[in-house]
Amino acid sequence: MNRHVPGLRITWGRLLTHVSLLLLVTLWTVPTIGLFVSSLRDKDQLIISGWWTAFSTTERNAFGRTGAANAQVQVGGRYVIEGAFLDDPRRTIVSFGITQADLTAFGPGEAADIDGTSFTLFEDGTYRWVSDEPFSHSAGRRIFYTAAIPPTFSLQNYRDVLSSERIDRAFINTFTVTIPATVIPILIAAFAAYAFAWMKFPGRQWLFALVVGLLVVPLQMSLIPLLRMYNEIGAMFGVPSKTYLGIWLAHTGFGLPLAIYLLRNYIGGLPRDIIESAQLDGASHFEIFIRLILPLSVPALASFAIFQFLWVWNDLLVALVFLGKGDDQIVLTSSLRELLGSRGDNWEILTSGAFISIIVPLLVFFSLQRYFVRGLLAGSVKGG
Amino acid sequence: MRNAAIRLLLALSLGGLLGSSVLAQNLVFPIGQDARFNWSDLERFEAMDLSAETIQVFGPWTAGDRDLVLSIFAYFEAATGAKIDYAGSDSFEQQIVIDTQAGSPAHVAIFPQPGLAADLASRGSLVPLGDEIREWTLENYAAGQSWVDLGTYADADGNPDFFGFFYKVDLKSLVWYSPDNFADAGYEIPQTMEELIALSEQIVADGDTPWCIGLGSGDATGWPATDWVEDILLRTQPPEVYDGWVDNSIPFNDPRVVNAIEVFGSFAKNDAWVDGGAASVGATDFRDSPAGVFTVPPRCYMHRQASFIPTFFPEGTELGVDADFFYFPAFESEDLGRPVLGAGTLWALTRESAAARVLIDFLTTPLAHELWMAQSGFLTPHLGVNLDAYANDTLRGQGEILQNATTFRFDGSDLMPGAIGAGAFWTGMVNFVSGDSAQSVADAIQRAWDALR
Amino acid sequence: MTQQVLMALLAVVAGVGASLAYFFGTNLLLDRLAADGRKPDGSYLSRESTRNAIRPWLFVLPALVILGVYLVYPVFETFRLSFFDRTGTEFVGLGNYAWAIDNPEFRMAIRNNLLWLLFVPAMSTAVGLLVATLADRVSWGNVAKSLIFMPMAISFVGASVIWKFVYDYRGPDAQQIGIVNAIVVALGGEPQAWITVPFWNNFLLMIILVWIQTGFAMVILSAALRGVPEETIEAAQIDGAGEVQVFFRIIVPQITSTILVVWTTITIVVLKVFDIVLAMTNGQWGTNVLANSMYNWMFRGGGDFGRGSVIALVIMLAVVPIMVWNIRRFQAEEAMR
Repeated sequence: MNRHVPGLRITWGRLLTHVSLLLLVTLWTVPTIGLFVSSLRDKDQLIISGWWTAFSTTERNAFGRTGAANAQVQVGGRYVIEGAFLDDPRRTIVSFGITQADLTAFGPGEAADIDGTSFTLFEDGTYRWVSDEPFSHSAGRRIFYTAAIPPTFSLQNYRDVLSSERIDRAFINTFTVTIPATVIPILIAAFAAYAFAWMKFPGRQWLFALVVGLLVVPLQMSLIPLLRMYNEIGAMFGVPSKTYLGIWLAHTGFGLPLAIYLLRNYIGGLPRDIIESAQLDGASHFEIFIRLILPLSVPALASFAIFQFLWVWNDLLVALVFLGKGDDQIVLTSSLRELLGSRGDNWEILTSGAFISIIVPLLVFFSLQRYFVRGLLAGSVKGG
Repeated sequence: MRNAAIRLLLALSLGGLLGSSVLAQNLVFPIGQDARFNWSDLERFEAMDLSAETIQVFGPWTAGDRDLVLSIFAYFEAATGAKIDYAGSDSFEQQIVIDTQAGSPAHVAIFPQPGLAADLASRGSLVPLGDEIREWTLENYAAGQSWVDLGTYADADGNPDFFGFFYKVDLKSLVWYSPDNFADAGYEIPQTMEELIALSEQIVADGDTPWCIGLGSGDATGWPATDWVEDILLRTQPPEVYDGWVDNSIPFNDPRVVNAIEVFGSFAKNDAWVDGGAASVGATDFRDSPAGVFTVPPRCYMHRQASFIPTFFPEGTELGVDADFFYFPAFESEDLGRPVLGAGTLWALTRESAAARVLIDFLTTPLAHELWMAQSGFLTPHLGVNLDAYANDTLRGQGEILQNATTFRFDGSDLMPGAIGAGAFWTGMVNFVSGDSAQSVADAIQRAWDALR
Repeated sequence: MTQQVLMALLAVVAGVGASLAYFFGTNLLLDRLAADGRKPDGSYLSRESTRNAIRPWLFVLPALVILGVYLVYPVFETFRLSFFDRTGTEFVGLGNYAWAIDNPEFRMAIRNNLLWLLFVPAMSTAVGLLVATLADRVSWGNVAKSLIFMPMAISFVGASVIWKFVYDYRGPDAQQIGIVNAIVVALGGEPQAWITVPFWNNFLLMIILVWIQTGFAMVILSAALRGVPEETIEAAQIDGAGEVQVFFRIIVPQITSTILVVWTTITIVVLKVFDIVLAMTNGQWGTNVLANSMYNWMFRGGGDFGRGSVIALVIMLAVVPIMVWNIRRFQAEEAMR
């Protein structure tokens, strides 16, 4: 796999290569690692401490409320209220106090004096409050403590997302949208790119320039004219205006300029003699395209397939506009969005949801990546 | 008249009862059991058969609020047999424009901002609700006329008509605090704005921080400050000034408005008064900002925010015990009574549908209000409801503030044109807390308003 | 559920099949209808020129039709709307254009867009090229490439959460959950509300796009690097050229056109960028860009199609130089063949 360049034998040069690449990779992955670690954390921890603290035991201040007088029991002539502050057995009390100002006043197991009564908070978070006189308070008293929280990871956030009602349907719907919306534009663009690169016809250059210009059309501005058109067509033929066919064609339209642009650059860079010799053998352009160009273009087609796939898979806007929001049409991005809450809280769902939604794109990338790594042909993506 | 005819027609067909018994187990409160609810309201709808109908409803609610509104719809579906297809989107504001412009909206849309509804009405995208609902609102809502006015807009031909029915109201003029922290520090709940300011100074003198303020809200960053300015304007000027400001007959850079912005600045731009210092106000997310009230030791003592904010309190925070609210008080010196700022969602028809009209009719019943009151985050000006239905004292207390208001005003930024109320005003407030002067941001907002048409 | 999967499969097969059927069908039809034949006098009649004249159009027709409907038609519609009022009903002449020129927010968006155009394509291409080059020389190069590519697979919703955990700010007394501030505090500095820092906050948003787009640049450039003939490199090394010299004198010139293609593509992504700005700041604190401004004018607060259209046209105007350059390149390439 490696290109053996003699100059690389110099040790420091090789070291520099490794170190700088490692540095770049670290910079690029740290944000994502942060998200991944966060997605495995408890949702309460998520927004109060940095994700890098997740691996170490952290201390957290909190308060607990004791039972009120009605919780007291009489034990050997004394009055006792008992209970527990910590619900997770792995957490422990570090210190406690009876005012916020002094959280470290007492160690676990030490007895604090509250107006002549004796209050003890034990390491496991249980407390015992003892008085000679009957308790009479109606609201529980606040006790302030510092608890040690060991690193906790769970798949709960993932369970929350995966168990939501529509997520499995959304996965299937998303595939239904994505596969044709990836394959159709590639097919159409490959034919067009070949024509632009190797076939002679009037207006060719101007049409290609037009394609390049259309790259920049912001798709937001085409939404309303297109949706109006869909509704008119739908009304004319008595079919619904929000259909899978509609969104395939829309994604095809929005993806075509880039597809044609990139593929033309690749196909135009293929060696001329291949095509000429095939022509001399009497092959038509159609045969040349199917038998020669398509197989040679696999790396470029695969690269574009990945980009278009990712784009469609992660798309929210086009799906919102061109597809319904019913069970049979809702896509993954929309349903994750719905889980998030009107006011955008629920970070735990955001973090795990984001990871669930990138699993498929990553699988696609890893399965197709050998095409760009292998470099099937010396010509490769060379552009003009 | 037409509604009555439709209802008669529907009443003649039977079968609705069957549907209700099948679906009954999905209902939050079993029908007929809890005496707090006016169950008899259902009878009228049980007599109808809409089982062939599907009503599409589009609203801004997702997740928690989505489940709540679905729980109300469940009773309607059970009674009438109709199916309600609810879609929620957090980009409601943009989506509704696309849907109505393209001609494919749902039957019913739930608007968080009357300004947006007014805009769509003027483009002919909304269907009038009719006199029946209008009359009903007038008679059955506290301050009925103001709710009717808020739902009345000019249609495409410029003629005013009644388009929006309010269901679910939020109260804005609230200050949230921890009663224990107040008790421990010996602070009293301030009854006047003067006392509130004195209390803030007292807290600073005691070495603590009085306020937590956060304006961050993703693509809506800045909106929490608009509520502050509105609340303060209502407390420093008569309501007529507020109304004039909202419709821009009083310019945004009027000294009275600039003064309100400056008063807000005396809270938010005061390093000693806000947790994290003035620099953190613009960048702190409003969802994270109340947390400071509940940390140990507290990072701040008070948080001014609308009635929905308890959703974002740390898990396990018990309302009425760990957290409570008081009315954001008025200046004693100004003698302007007890002004209250609120907001609400209005329901409008985006597509004519007889079944959707029946749904709106269902929402006028006390039952439809009580069922949500008994859950969470719902206030109503409906005079016919049983107040016992409120889930807790906190909600009930907010309901009382709503009823005791001498002046009730709707969130002004929601009434202004979108480019101002959801644009220039937000940007202006962000720039203000980032250091610009009140006068210069007010001038900039007024310029943006002048550039509208 | 099985029914849903079957329906989905059927839909996929039908959609893909129909487009395949078009290409095979029309080309076979052409070969059949314009087949070589015999003239009435019995001599051979070649219809090759007829076929050659028609076939290109069979190839490009679907693309042209779809582009026409989905992109060209909306462009004309936008052009028309730019002369109308907010609802698109009343003609206002050049009113929207006058408004744009006069609007300080619009001018700021233009300035920011220029910054984006200078920074993002250059950085993405440079880092992408660096990674592509370095990764070819280490045994774990494929792993490195995959990791650098990963941000491309993350949706904007996910990316905005990821970067919130990077730039987040808490007051100086509180525990930081944003990693940048945590590092600053650990080094003894004061935490900053990064995304509110005037001017520089633009670059913080740009970094997010660089982070996403570097993977794209790397993939394309990596393929191009593989195409550089070994002999040219070896020849240079025999001549005693160092590693760096080989890179800049031998390798880079051979892949220049690919670099420019990557540059063009990322430039166009930059012109259209709005999700990042919308999610992180919505253009507050002086970070607005044209595409976000357009989106807001078009759809927020009931929408103003006239003004939104003007901004859209400005974005499209910005691409004219890129178009001209691409046509030139296209012509030069033709001439060389």
